[in-house]
Amino acid sequence: MSNLLHFSSHTLQEIALVFMATVYFMRVRWFLKWPLAKERQPATGMGDTNPKKGARYSVGKIAMPWAMESSRNKPLMYAQFVIFHLGVVAAIGLSFIIPYGPGLLKSAGLVSLIQLLTGAACIIGVFRIIRRITNPYMRAISSPDDHFSLVLLTGWFAFAFMAAPNNISSGEGVMLAYFMLTAFFLVYVPFSKISHYLYYPFTRTYLGRHFGRRGVYPLKRTPA
Amino acid sequence: MSTTTNGRSYKAQKVIDRMGQKLTRQMVGSLAACVHCGQCTDSCHYVLSNPGDPTFAPAYKADRIRKLFKKHYDWTGKVFPKWVKAGTVQTDEDLEELKDIVFGKCTNCRRCTINCPMGVDLATFNRMARGLLCHVGIMPEGVEYVAKEQWEIGNQMGVLKEDYIETIEWQEEELQDEMEDPNARIPVDKVNSEIVYVINPREIKHDPRSVLDAAKIFYMAGADYTMPSEGWDMTNFGLFNGDDELGGAVAGRVYDKVEELNGKKLVISECGHGYRSTRCEGPNWAKKDIAFDSESSVITMLKYIKEGKIKVDKTKNPGSYTFHDSCNNARSCGLTEEPRELLSLVVDDFREMYPNRAENYCCTGGGGAMSMAEYRPSRLKSAKVKADQLSATGTKTVVTSCHNCVDGLTDLIGHYKLGMDVTQLVNLVANALVVDEKIEENRKIHSAETSATAAQ
Ligand code: SF4
Ligand code: SF4
Repeated sequence: MSNLLHFSSHTLQEIALVFMATVYFMRVRWFLKWPLAKERQPATGMGDTNPKKGARYSVGKIAMPWAMESSRNKPLMYAQFVIFHLGVVAAIGLSFIIPYGPGLLKSAGLVSLIQLLTGAACIIGVFRIIRRITNPYMRAISSPDDHFSLVLLTGWFAFAFMAAPNNISSGEGVMLAYFMLTAFFLVYVPFSKISHYLYYPFTRTYLGRHFGRRGVYPLKRTPA
Repeated sequence: MSTTTNGRSYKAQKVIDRMGQKLTRQMVGSLAACVHCGQCTDSCHYVLSNPGDPTFAPAYKADRIRKLFKKHYDWTGKVFPKWVKAGTVQTDEDLEELKDIVFGKCTNCRRCTINCPMGVDLATFNRMARGLLCHVGIMPEGVEYVAKEQWEIGNQMGVLKEDYIETIEWQEEELQDEMEDPNARIPVDKVNSEIVYVINPREIKHDPRSVLDAAKIFYMAGADYTMPSEGWDMTNFGLFNGDDELGGAVAGRVYDKVEELNGKKLVISECGHGYRSTRCEGPNWAKKDIAFDSESSVITMLKYIKEGKIKVDKTKNPGSYTFHDSCNNARSCGLTEEPRELLSLVVDDFREMYPNRAENYCCTGGGGAMSMAEYRPSRLKSAKVKADQLSATGTKTVVTSCHNCVDGLTDLIGHYKLGMDVTQLVNLVANALVVDEKIEENRKIHSAETSATAAQ
């Protein structure tokens, strides 16, 4: 392994991670400085729920596609969403496995799993890029950051797919690109919409507590 | 247009400055967390009824407000404004444009909220944006007028106290006639009552029958209740114009009157935004913890039937019925099951509407839209999905627990020539009341009293 690859897969990643953590810390601090709206209203609803239950339901809703009309009516979109995010987990995991636990990649099964997830996520990424450009609704709501983040992630998946076997016998180009991209990704993410997962627990908990108190969450419905 | 030193109009500057004071952490979360995934797009009735127009998409509308937040309060927007679509308002015309979005293209129905995987609550910050604009005098004329009435006269339809009292007295006479009981009363300002009953001024102005129907139900249940002479308007334009001060003042008047009368429980007649404002948001706006109980009249009526205080006969309400959930009742207060239970006790043929409960579509007249005449054509065009939903039920009557929805639905039913009627639960319950025995009893008492008087 060249010094450059070693630097990229170790020191560069560590610097980028520290940077990301620092910006995230600042971001959360900034967020928490905003005043939390106090809820004084007496509870409404059937008495079968409460803020805690509402919050649990709200946070867990992401894993309950049946609980939200927008995912229930578009199962393919939901499946894409799941695979895309599993691809992210796989690609992040790989960036730790290669430098700190390369032995794990001797397992052909693990390599195949990572390739399956990152490969599928990459294809979905391409589909999403096309959708964002061609669908007038998506185009209208997209910012340059949305487009760039998607392209960045899709490219990153492609390199993760190629890097998964951790094989440098035919050159280090792919590995270098993957780690450089990972480092860039880590630095860019806190400034982009990709950092949405930082807010997710907050927004979903606040909304869940609110709707739990009001007796709205968990949602009730009579299916057609 | 006068401008500040940075070339921005005073009003625009005020909107930006005040935004910082109005933002809560919940709103900031909603403003920061949107990933522009588009999942909420199809949840909005404006989108569904205006295919091909992306300017109705919830995220697109939200971004008109979000850009201000990004530019002035979020450092990503300060550092890379174009990259994250941060922007500002410079002129009064910019504010007028924003007004047409926050008032004219969104009813704050929260359907996109429950369909957003990130938990973005557009309706809440859309209301905040309405409040910012109203604060600098930029709002639809109807909104300005109604808010003024509520500030000055104490109710949103400008009903004077004497007209209110006169209408109650008139309905009291009707009650006496119908029940054949000259002693039947609609008490006003009776202290120490179990129930203080508050209503929507629409009932006084356009629908006094609802006052009579409620009075009949209370009469048959032998309820110890009163209507207040002041603070009787449970509606609240503060919910629609985003003015927390107005919201707090209007709700505060109701709470103060209940306390003054030493009422045990506040019962709120059927109105979605009134129920939400008085039962839920009011204490937040008025910054007051409420010491007495309060409930929707739907729950009160249901209890009366379940406890055997009133008897109903569902054959008195022939025909087919569907139920429209008001957004405020269902999506913001969880009032979905009791109205159905009550409805099934007073009609035979109830057919569910799809989607229903918290997933129901707005009546399309919510968020104060009925008072904004300038947006009526667009409102009715955007009601297409609601009209389709109603006609798919194949019923003749749509029941709702909201006066605002009655008006919104009636307007769209007329526009789309659906030939349906709209009614409320109070009307159906009153109609289904088994009153013959009571009237017979009253007759006997009355004739005994008459003979006693004659014998003297
Ligand atoms: S669903 Fe939520 S995150 Fe997605 S575009 Fe709509 S508001 Fe934004
Ligand atoms: S709150 Fe209702 S009307 Fe407004 S954008 Fe969301 S779905 Fe549409």
